[in-house]
Amino acid sequence: MDIRALSAASGYAAAKPATKVDPGHQAAGMGDRAKASFESFTQTLQASEQASVQAMTGQGDPHVLVQALAQTELAVETAVTVRNKVVEAFQELLRMPV
Amino acid sequence: MSEFAKSLSVTASALKAQATRLRHVSENISNADTPGYRRKTIPFEAVRDLSNDTEMVKAGRVRLDQSELEKIYDPSHPLADASGHYQSSNVDLMIEIADAREAQRSYDANLKMFEQTRQMSSSLMDLLRR
Repeated sequence: MDIRALSAASGYAAAKPATKVDPGHQAAGMGDRAKASFESFTQTLQASEQASVQAMTGQGDPHVLVQALAQTELAVETAVTVRNKVVEAFQELLRMPV
Repeated sequence: MSEFAKSLSVTASALKAQATRLRHVSENISNADTPGYRRKTIPFEAVRDLSNDTEMVKAGRVRLDQSELEKIYDPSHPLADASGHYQSSNVDLMIEIADAREAQRSYDANLKMFEQTRQMSSSLMDLLRR
């Protein structure tokens, strides 16, 4: 019994630093992350445009075209859904009685 | 790259490999009556993409079937030897048709996977929509 209480006390002591404030810690900027995801979104769009142009001029492989378009569809759908969610949240804020 | 995007690209590589296989089958069938033609076979190889941690499939180098060419008796043929025989191709149409059908089935299976991936990703996004 004694031993258990002791080990619990040392366990709490070991876990304590986890809740401490770390002054050197810097949160990754929201803006940076958003920028990176927008850039990758633009890259996907550009890749699909390139694949489309190549397929239309008869140089590209139709499989590449279909794959690129499906990936663009996925990316656009994600972006639109996220944007709708953000706009909705913003409107919710505007409706807040002050 | 999300898992959906990865599985889309893996499936696209399989579709491409099956299309290549079908092309070689059609080359074999078109040259079934060409004297001296050896049927082409292609092995499939797994290609590991380390950057995405995916394993794609690729059609490898063409190999020629080294089995015996068919001997046909036709003394009037310009390539006929002293005994009146000439060597035709070693293409067996039955094998080629079966191979083509197998390529088609495999292509269909991969198309289904493509479709399923799209459906799964769009139903995931439907969760956020109201």
